[in-house]
Amino acid sequence: MDCKTASELLPLYFDGELDRATSREFEAHLDECATCQAALIQLDALRRSLRNDVPRYSAPESLRARIGKSAAGEASVMRPQPRPRVSRPWLALAASWILAFVAGGVTLSAWNQGSAPAKEESQLHRDLFASHWRALAAASPIDVVSTDQHTVKPWFAGKVAISPVVQDFADQGYALIGGRIDYAGRERVPVLVYRHGKHLIDVFVLPWKAGAESRDAVEAEGYVLETASLGGQAVAIVSDMDRGELTRFRDLLNAAGPSR
Amino acid sequence: MMSAGNRAVVDELALRHLDAAYNLGRWLLGSEQDAADAVHDAYLRAARAADTYAGGNARAWWLAIVRNCCLARLAVRNKEKKNVAIDGNPVAAERWMPRAEADEVEERVDSSRRRELIAVHLGNLPEIFREVLILREMEELSYREIADVLETPIGTVMSRLARGRALLQKALTDDGAMEAPHGL
Repeated sequence: MDCKTASELLPLYFDGELDRATSREFEAHLDECATCQAALIQLDALRRSLRNDVPRYSAPESLRARIGKSAAGEASVMRPQPRPRVSRPWLALAASWILAFVAGGVTLSAWNQGSAPAKEESQLHRDLFASHWRALAAASPIDVVSTDQHTVKPWFAGKVAISPVVQDFADQGYALIGGRIDYAGRERVPVLVYRHGKHLIDVFVLPWKAGAESRDAVEAEGYVLETASLGGQAVAIVSDMDRGELTRFRDLLNAAGPSR
Repeated sequence: MMSAGNRAVVDELALRHLDAAYNLGRWLLGSEQDAADAVHDAYLRAARAADTYAGGNARAWWLAIVRNCCLARLAVRNKEKKNVAIDGNPVAAERWMPRAEADEVEERVDSSRRRELIAVHLGNLPEIFREVLILREMEELSYREIADVLETPIGTVMSRLARGRALLQKALTDDGAMEAPHGL
Protein backbone atom coordinates (compact mmCIF):
# COMPACT_ATOMS: atom_id res chain seq x y z
CA MET A 1 0.00 0.00 0.00
CA ASP A 2 1.44 3.37 -0.90
CA CYS A 3 1.34 6.36 1.37
CA LYS A 4 -1.26 8.19 -0.66
CA THR A 5 -3.74 5.35 -0.42
CA ALA A 6 -2.89 4.88 3.23
CA SER A 7 -3.50 8.51 4.07
CA GLU A 8 -6.91 8.32 2.46
CA LEU A 9 -7.75 5.21 4.44
CA LEU A 10 -6.36 6.56 7.68
CA PRO A 11 -9.54 8.22 8.99
CA LEU A 12 -11.55 5.14 8.08
CA TYR A 13 -9.10 2.96 9.94
CA PHE A 14 -9.16 5.31 12.89
CA ASP A 15 -12.96 5.31 12.93
CA GLY A 16 -13.20 1.53 12.66
CA GLU A 17 -14.80 1.64 9.24
CA LEU A 18 -12.30 -0.47 7.32
CA ASP A 19 -12.84 -4.12 6.60
CA ARG A 20 -10.38 -6.46 8.20
CA ALA A 21 -8.22 -7.39 5.26
CA THR A 22 -7.71 -3.76 4.31
CA SER A 23 -7.04 -2.91 7.94
CA ARG A 24 -4.27 -5.45 7.95
CA GLU A 25 -2.79 -4.03 4.78
CA PHE A 26 -3.04 -0.59 6.27
CA GLU A 27 -1.32 -1.73 9.45
CA ALA A 28 1.50 -3.21 7.42
CA HIS A 29 2.05 0.20 5.88
CA LEU A 30 1.66 1.92 9.23
CA ASP A 31 4.47 -0.13 10.74
CA GLU A 32 6.85 1.43 8.28
CA CYS A 33 5.56 4.93 7.82
CA ALA A 34 6.33 7.62 10.37
CA THR A 35 4.14 10.16 8.61
CA CYS A 36 1.03 8.03 8.87
CA GLN A 37 1.86 7.13 12.46
CA ALA A 38 2.09 10.80 13.34
CA ALA A 39 -1.18 11.54 11.57
CA LEU A 40 -2.89 8.77 13.50
CA ILE A 41 -1.52 10.03 16.80
CA GLN A 42 -2.77 13.47 15.89
CA LEU A 43 -6.29 12.21 15.25
CA ASP A 44 -6.20 10.34 18.51
CA ALA A 45 -5.05 13.42 20.45
CA LEU A 46 -7.94 15.40 19.02
CA ARG A 47 -10.39 12.67 19.91
CA ARG A 48 -9.11 12.47 23.45
CA SER A 49 -9.44 16.20 23.77
CA LEU A 50 -13.01 16.12 22.61
CA ARG A 51 -13.85 13.28 24.95
CA ASN A 52 -12.01 14.49 28.02
CA ASP A 53 -11.65 18.22 27.80
CA VAL A 54 -14.97 19.27 26.39
CA PRO A 55 -18.16 18.87 28.36
CA ARG A 56 -20.62 16.26 27.17
CA TYR A 57 -23.70 17.88 28.58
CA SER A 58 -26.15 15.69 30.47
CA ALA A 59 -29.83 16.28 30.10
CA PRO A 60 -31.12 18.27 33.08
CA GLU A 61 -33.40 16.42 35.44
CA SER A 62 -36.25 18.78 34.61
CA LEU A 63 -36.15 17.69 30.97
CA ARG A 64 -35.94 14.03 31.90
CA ALA A 65 -38.91 14.48 34.20
CA ARG A 66 -40.90 16.30 31.53
CA ILE A 67 -40.40 13.52 29.04
CA GLY A 68 -40.74 10.75 31.57
CA LYS A 69 -44.06 12.20 32.64
CA SER A 70 -45.62 12.35 29.21
CA ALA A 71 -44.22 8.91 28.53
CA ALA A 72 -45.69 7.44 31.72
CA GLY A 73 -49.07 8.98 30.96
CA GLU A 74 -49.27 7.14 27.71
CA ALA A 75 -47.32 4.10 28.56
CA SER A 76 -48.96 2.94 31.76
CA VAL A 77 -51.30 0.64 29.88
CA MET A 78 -48.75 -0.42 27.35
CA ARG A 79 -46.69 -3.47 27.12
CA PRO A 80 -43.05 -2.74 26.42
CA GLN A 81 -41.81 -4.27 23.23
CA PRO A 82 -38.43 -5.25 21.97
CA ARG A 83 -36.65 -2.32 20.42
CA PRO A 84 -36.03 -2.13 16.71
CA ARG A 85 -32.38 -1.31 17.26
CA VAL A 86 -30.75 -2.66 14.19
CA SER A 87 -32.01 -3.18 10.71
CA ARG A 88 -30.20 -6.44 10.16
CA PRO A 89 -31.17 -8.88 12.86
CA TRP A 90 -28.20 -11.11 12.24
CA LEU A 91 -25.96 -8.18 12.93
CA ALA A 92 -27.46 -7.61 16.33
CA LEU A 93 -27.26 -11.29 17.02
CA ALA A 94 -23.67 -11.42 15.91
CA ALA A 95 -22.72 -8.57 18.18
CA SER A 96 -24.35 -10.13 21.18
CA TRP A 97 -22.85 -13.51 20.43
CA ILE A 98 -19.43 -11.99 20.30
CA LEU A 99 -19.99 -10.54 23.72
CA ALA A 100 -21.27 -13.82 25.02
CA PHE A 101 -18.32 -15.49 23.45
CA VAL A 102 -15.77 -13.14 24.90
CA ALA A 103 -17.38 -13.49 28.29
CA GLY A 104 -16.93 -17.21 28.00
CA GLY A 105 -20.62 -17.81 27.83
CA VAL A 106 -20.49 -20.04 24.78
CA THR A 107 -20.07 -23.70 25.18
CA LEU A 108 -19.36 -25.86 22.24
CA SER A 109 -20.19 -29.48 22.16
CA ALA A 110 -16.97 -30.86 20.85
CA TRP A 111 -16.71 -33.24 18.00
CA ASN A 112 -15.94 -36.53 19.56
CA GLN A 113 -14.14 -38.35 16.82
CA GLY A 114 -11.30 -37.31 14.58
CA SER A 115 -7.59 -37.25 14.29
CA ALA A 116 -6.75 -33.95 15.91
CA PRO A 117 -6.82 -33.87 19.69
CA ALA A 118 -10.27 -32.84 20.78
CA LYS A 119 -9.03 -29.80 22.59
CA GLU A 120 -7.26 -28.29 19.60
CA GLU A 121 -10.19 -29.04 17.45
CA SER A 122 -12.69 -27.33 19.68
CA GLN A 123 -10.36 -24.35 19.80
CA LEU A 124 -10.51 -24.27 16.02
CA HIS A 125 -14.30 -24.40 16.07
CA ARG A 126 -14.34 -21.59 18.54
CA ASP A 127 -12.12 -19.55 16.21
CA LEU A 128 -14.31 -20.22 13.22
CA PHE A 129 -17.51 -19.29 15.02
CA ALA A 130 -15.84 -16.16 16.32
CA SER A 131 -14.62 -15.27 12.83
CA HIS A 132 -18.08 -15.69 11.44
CA TRP A 133 -19.61 -13.51 14.14
CA ARG A 134 -16.94 -10.88 13.83
CA ALA A 135 -17.46 -10.77 10.11
CA LEU A 136 -21.21 -10.34 10.59
CA ALA A 137 -20.61 -7.44 12.93
CA ALA A 138 -18.03 -5.77 10.70
CA ALA A 139 -18.94 -3.03 8.31
CA SER A 140 -18.78 -5.58 5.54
CA PRO A 141 -18.43 -9.32 5.94
CA ILE A 142 -16.77 -9.49 2.55
CA ASP A 143 -13.47 -8.18 1.25
CA VAL A 144 -14.07 -8.89 -2.39
CA VAL A 145 -17.67 -8.45 -3.39
CA SER A 146 -18.54 -10.42 -6.44
CA THR A 147 -21.06 -12.91 -7.60
CA ASP A 148 -18.65 -14.04 -10.27
CA GLN A 149 -16.54 -17.05 -9.41
CA HIS A 150 -13.98 -15.94 -11.97
CA THR A 151 -13.40 -12.75 -9.99
CA VAL A 152 -13.38 -14.31 -6.56
CA LYS A 153 -10.96 -17.10 -7.31
CA PRO A 154 -8.11 -15.00 -8.72
CA TRP A 155 -8.58 -12.52 -5.89
CA PHE A 156 -7.27 -15.14 -3.48
CA ALA A 157 -4.23 -15.88 -5.61
CA GLY A 158 -1.09 -14.54 -4.01
CA LYS A 159 -2.94 -13.70 -0.81
CA VAL A 160 -3.27 -17.20 0.57
CA ALA A 161 -1.57 -20.49 -0.09
CA ILE A 162 -4.76 -22.38 -0.83
CA SER A 163 -6.52 -21.91 -4.12
CA PRO A 164 -10.07 -22.94 -3.40
CA VAL A 165 -12.69 -24.27 -5.75
CA VAL A 166 -15.06 -21.36 -6.22
CA GLN A 167 -18.46 -22.17 -7.54
CA ASP A 168 -21.69 -20.27 -7.53
CA PHE A 169 -24.84 -22.13 -6.50
CA ALA A 170 -27.28 -19.33 -7.18
CA ASP A 171 -29.47 -21.67 -9.22
CA GLN A 172 -29.83 -23.91 -6.20
CA GLY A 173 -30.61 -20.96 -3.91
CA TYR A 174 -27.13 -20.42 -2.50
CA ALA A 175 -25.65 -17.40 -4.22
CA LEU A 176 -21.95 -16.65 -4.08
CA ILE A 177 -21.59 -13.07 -2.87
CA GLY A 178 -17.87 -12.75 -2.35
CA GLY A 179 -14.87 -13.79 -0.35
CA ARG A 180 -12.53 -12.67 2.35
CA ILE A 181 -9.40 -13.82 4.08
CA ASP A 182 -9.58 -14.90 7.65
CA TYR A 183 -7.66 -16.90 10.17
CA ALA A 184 -8.10 -20.52 11.13
CA GLY A 185 -5.69 -20.90 14.00
CA ARG A 186 -2.59 -19.19 12.68
CA GLU A 187 -3.24 -19.92 9.06
CA ARG A 188 -4.63 -17.35 6.70
CA VAL A 189 -7.37 -19.11 4.82
CA PRO A 190 -9.79 -18.19 2.08
CA VAL A 191 -13.40 -17.78 3.11
CA LEU A 192 -16.13 -18.00 0.51
CA VAL A 193 -19.27 -16.11 1.41
CA TYR A 194 -22.67 -17.23 0.22
CA ARG A 195 -26.14 -15.99 0.85
CA HIS A 196 -29.22 -18.12 1.26
CA GLY A 197 -32.34 -16.04 1.85
CA LYS A 198 -31.48 -13.89 4.83
CA HIS A 199 -28.71 -16.16 5.98
CA LEU A 200 -25.08 -15.48 5.43
CA ILE A 201 -22.87 -18.51 5.00
CA ASP A 202 -19.13 -18.60 5.54
CA VAL A 203 -17.16 -21.42 3.98
CA PHE A 204 -13.69 -21.60 5.55
CA VAL A 205 -11.32 -23.51 3.31
CA LEU A 206 -9.05 -25.33 5.73
CA PRO A 207 -5.41 -26.04 5.05
CA TRP A 208 -5.74 -29.81 4.93
CA LYS A 209 -7.34 -32.52 2.84
CA ALA A 210 -10.85 -33.62 3.61
CA GLY A 211 -11.01 -36.86 5.57
CA ALA A 212 -13.21 -39.73 4.55
CA GLU A 213 -15.18 -39.91 7.77
CA SER A 214 -18.20 -37.71 8.18
CA ARG A 215 -18.54 -35.64 11.30
CA ASP A 216 -21.35 -34.37 13.41
CA ALA A 217 -22.20 -30.74 13.15
CA VAL A 218 -21.26 -28.49 16.06
CA GLU A 219 -23.67 -25.93 17.33
CA ALA A 220 -23.15 -22.70 19.24
CA GLU A 221 -25.85 -20.22 20.09
CA GLY A 222 -28.02 -21.01 17.12
CA TYR A 223 -25.14 -21.14 14.66
CA VAL A 224 -23.99 -24.39 13.16
CA LEU A 225 -20.59 -25.49 11.97
CA GLU A 226 -20.41 -28.39 9.59
CA THR A 227 -17.54 -29.85 7.64
CA ALA A 228 -17.52 -30.80 4.01
CA SER A 229 -15.13 -31.46 1.21
CA LEU A 230 -14.64 -28.94 -1.55
CA GLY A 231 -12.60 -30.32 -4.41
CA GLY A 232 -10.85 -32.58 -1.92
CA GLN A 233 -10.04 -29.77 0.49
CA ALA A 234 -11.55 -29.76 3.96
CA VAL A 235 -13.94 -26.90 4.54
CA ALA A 236 -15.99 -25.71 7.48
CA ILE A 237 -19.39 -24.19 6.83
CA VAL A 238 -20.66 -21.75 9.45
CA SER A 239 -24.14 -20.29 9.30
CA ASP A 240 -27.41 -19.87 11.10
CA MET A 241 -29.41 -21.74 8.48
CA ASP A 242 -31.51 -24.60 9.67
CA ARG A 243 -30.06 -28.08 9.46
CA GLY A 244 -31.94 -29.13 6.36
CA GLU A 245 -30.76 -26.14 4.36
CA LEU A 246 -27.27 -26.62 5.64
CA THR A 247 -27.18 -30.27 4.64
CA ARG A 248 -28.38 -29.40 1.17
CA PHE A 249 -25.61 -26.83 0.86
CA ARG A 250 -23.03 -29.26 2.19
CA ASP A 251 -24.04 -31.80 -0.42
CA LEU A 252 -23.63 -29.18 -3.14
CA LEU A 253 -20.11 -28.42 -1.95
CA ASN A 254 -19.22 -32.08 -1.70
CA ALA A 255 -20.33 -32.56 -5.27
CA ALA A 256 -18.53 -29.49 -6.60
CA GLY A 257 -15.94 -30.18 -9.24
CA PRO A 258 -12.20 -29.88 -8.79
CA SER A 259 -10.49 -26.56 -9.16
CA ARG A 260 -11.14 -25.00 -12.49
CA MET B 1 -53.40 6.04 14.69
CA MET B 2 -50.65 5.32 17.06
CA SER B 3 -49.98 1.84 18.15
CA ALA B 4 -49.25 1.38 21.80
CA GLY B 5 -46.20 -0.72 21.11
CA ASN B 6 -44.51 1.82 18.89
CA ARG B 7 -45.20 4.60 21.31
CA ALA B 8 -43.59 2.65 24.11
CA VAL B 9 -40.59 2.09 21.89
CA VAL B 10 -40.23 5.81 21.25
CA ASP B 11 -40.52 6.65 24.94
CA GLU B 12 -37.88 4.18 25.84
CA LEU B 13 -35.66 5.34 23.01
CA ALA B 14 -35.91 9.02 23.88
CA LEU B 15 -35.14 8.42 27.54
CA ARG B 16 -32.27 6.10 26.83
CA HIS B 17 -30.61 8.54 24.44
CA LEU B 18 -31.65 11.69 26.24
CA ASP B 19 -28.13 12.76 27.10
CA ALA B 20 -27.00 12.26 23.52
CA ALA B 21 -29.94 14.31 22.31
CA TYR B 22 -29.41 17.06 24.84
CA ASN B 23 -25.67 17.22 24.24
CA LEU B 24 -26.22 17.60 20.51
CA GLY B 25 -28.82 20.29 21.10
CA ARG B 26 -26.67 22.09 23.63
CA TRP B 27 -23.74 22.23 21.23
CA LEU B 28 -25.86 23.24 18.26
CA LEU B 29 -27.88 25.87 20.07
CA GLY B 30 -25.44 27.01 22.71
CA SER B 31 -28.11 27.47 25.35
CA GLU B 32 -29.45 25.18 28.04
CA GLN B 33 -33.01 26.35 27.74
CA ASP B 34 -33.11 26.13 23.95
CA ALA B 35 -31.52 22.72 23.98
CA ALA B 36 -34.04 21.39 26.50
CA ASP B 37 -36.95 22.87 24.53
CA ALA B 38 -35.66 21.49 21.25
CA VAL B 39 -35.30 18.01 22.73
CA HIS B 40 -38.78 18.19 24.14
CA ASP B 41 -40.13 19.26 20.73
CA ALA B 42 -38.25 16.36 19.23
CA TYR B 43 -39.79 13.95 21.69
CA LEU B 44 -43.32 15.11 20.84
CA ARG B 45 -42.55 14.87 17.15
CA ALA B 46 -41.04 11.42 17.52
CA ALA B 47 -44.07 10.21 19.50
CA ARG B 48 -46.40 11.45 16.76
CA ALA B 49 -44.23 9.85 14.10
CA ALA B 50 -43.82 6.58 15.95
CA ASP B 51 -45.76 4.68 13.36
CA THR B 52 -43.77 6.05 10.49
CA TYR B 53 -40.57 4.70 11.93
CA ALA B 54 -39.52 2.34 9.20
CA GLY B 55 -36.85 0.33 10.87
CA GLY B 56 -33.17 1.02 10.69
CA ASN B 57 -31.03 2.41 13.43
CA ALA B 58 -33.32 3.77 16.12
CA ARG B 59 -30.81 6.03 17.81
CA ALA B 60 -29.99 7.65 14.47
CA TRP B 61 -33.70 8.09 13.77
CA TRP B 62 -34.19 9.82 17.12
CA LEU B 63 -31.13 12.03 16.80
CA ALA B 64 -32.18 13.03 13.28
CA ILE B 65 -35.43 14.36 14.73
CA VAL B 66 -33.57 16.15 17.50
CA ARG B 67 -31.23 17.72 14.98
CA ASN B 68 -34.11 18.89 12.80
CA CYS B 69 -35.75 20.53 15.78
CA CYS B 70 -32.48 22.28 16.62
CA LEU B 71 -32.03 23.48 13.06
CA ALA B 72 -35.57 24.81 13.06
CA ARG B 73 -34.78 26.84 16.15
CA LEU B 74 -31.57 28.10 14.64
CA ALA B 75 -33.43 29.19 11.53
CA VAL B 76 -35.91 31.16 13.63
CA ARG B 77 -33.11 32.67 15.59
CA ASN B 78 -31.26 33.70 12.45
CA LYS B 79 -34.39 35.28 11.09
CA GLU B 80 -35.02 37.20 14.29
CA LYS B 81 -31.62 38.38 13.58
CA LYS B 82 -28.22 39.06 14.06
CA ASN B 83 -27.39 37.20 17.12
CA VAL B 84 -23.67 36.83 16.91
CA ALA B 85 -21.78 33.57 17.18
CA ILE B 86 -22.84 31.11 19.75
CA ASP B 87 -20.33 30.65 22.49
CA GLY B 88 -17.84 33.29 23.46
CA ASN B 89 -16.00 35.02 20.73
CA PRO B 90 -12.99 34.11 18.68
CA VAL B 91 -11.06 37.17 19.78
CA ALA B 92 -10.78 35.84 23.30
CA ALA B 93 -9.21 32.72 21.94
CA GLU B 94 -6.85 34.60 19.72
CA ARG B 95 -5.36 36.40 22.66
CA TRP B 96 -3.79 33.23 23.80
CA MET B 97 -0.18 32.66 23.23
CA PRO B 98 1.52 33.09 19.95
CA ARG B 99 2.83 29.68 19.09
CA ALA B 100 6.36 29.21 20.31
CA GLU B 101 8.99 27.69 18.10
CA ALA B 102 10.29 24.20 17.79
CA ASP B 103 11.51 23.33 21.27
CA GLU B 104 8.28 24.04 23.05
CA VAL B 105 7.48 20.52 24.24
CA GLU B 106 6.48 21.61 27.70
CA GLU B 107 5.46 25.05 26.74
CA ARG B 108 1.78 24.59 26.32
CA VAL B 109 -1.18 26.26 27.80
CA ASP B 110 -2.19 24.74 31.09
CA SER B 111 -5.00 22.30 31.17
CA SER B 112 -7.91 24.44 32.33
CA ARG B 113 -7.19 27.04 29.67
CA ARG B 114 -6.75 24.30 27.19
CA ARG B 115 -10.22 23.00 27.97
CA GLU B 116 -11.60 26.44 27.64
CA LEU B 117 -9.94 26.90 24.27
CA ILE B 118 -11.14 23.62 22.88
CA ALA B 119 -14.71 24.38 23.88
CA VAL B 120 -14.47 27.84 22.36
CA HIS B 121 -13.05 26.56 19.11
CA LEU B 122 -15.55 23.75 18.86
CA GLY B 123 -18.33 26.25 19.45
CA ASN B 124 -16.92 28.49 16.76
CA LEU B 125 -16.81 25.81 14.09
CA PRO B 126 -19.55 26.08 11.50
CA GLU B 127 -22.48 23.91 12.54
CA ILE B 128 -22.03 21.37 9.77
CA PHE B 129 -18.58 20.52 11.09
CA ARG B 130 -19.44 20.87 14.75
CA GLU B 131 -22.27 18.37 14.54
CA VAL B 132 -20.28 15.63 12.82
CA LEU B 133 -17.50 15.97 15.38
CA ILE B 134 -19.97 15.69 18.22
CA LEU B 135 -21.74 12.71 16.74
CA ARG B 136 -18.53 10.90 15.90
CA GLU B 137 -16.16 11.75 18.72
CA MET B 138 -18.51 12.24 21.66
CA GLU B 139 -21.47 10.06 20.80
CA GLU B 140 -19.40 7.52 18.88
CA LEU B 141 -21.82 7.02 16.02
CA SER B 142 -20.66 5.11 12.96
CA TYR B 143 -20.48 6.80 9.57
CA ARG B 144 -23.67 5.03 8.58
CA GLU B 145 -25.50 6.31 11.64
CA ILE B 146 -24.22 9.83 11.15
CA ALA B 147 -25.35 9.71 7.53
CA ASP B 148 -28.81 8.71 8.79
CA VAL B 149 -28.88 11.57 11.28
CA LEU B 150 -27.77 14.17 8.75
CA GLU B 151 -29.71 12.58 5.92
CA THR B 152 -26.68 12.85 3.68
CA PRO B 153 -24.52 10.33 1.83
CA ILE B 154 -21.69 8.71 3.76
CA GLY B 155 -19.19 10.45 1.48
CA THR B 156 -20.43 13.79 2.76
CA VAL B 157 -20.07 12.60 6.32
CA MET B 158 -16.49 11.59 5.63
CA SER B 159 -15.52 14.84 3.98
CA ARG B 160 -17.14 16.97 6.67
CA LEU B 161 -15.52 14.94 9.37
CA ALA B 162 -12.11 15.33 7.75
CA ARG B 163 -12.62 19.04 7.27
CA GLY B 164 -13.97 19.54 10.78
CA ARG B 165 -11.06 17.70 12.32
CA ALA B 166 -8.58 19.71 10.27
CA LEU B 167 -10.20 23.02 11.17
CA LEU B 168 -10.31 22.26 14.85
CA GLN B 169 -6.81 20.91 14.80
CA LYS B 170 -5.55 24.02 13.12
CA ALA B 171 -7.33 26.36 15.51
CA LEU B 172 -5.87 24.50 18.48
CA THR B 173 -2.39 24.34 17.05
CA ASP B 174 -2.41 28.04 16.31
CA ASP B 175 -3.23 28.66 19.94
CA GLY B 176 -0.59 26.29 21.22
CA ALA B 177 -3.28 24.16 22.82
CA MET B 178 -1.98 21.22 20.84
CA GLU B 179 1.22 20.19 19.23
CA ALA B 180 1.60 21.02 15.60
CA PRO B 181 0.65 18.16 13.33
CA HIS B 182 3.59 16.33 11.99
CA GLY B 183 4.74 17.59 8.63
CA LEU B 184 2.83 20.84 8.65
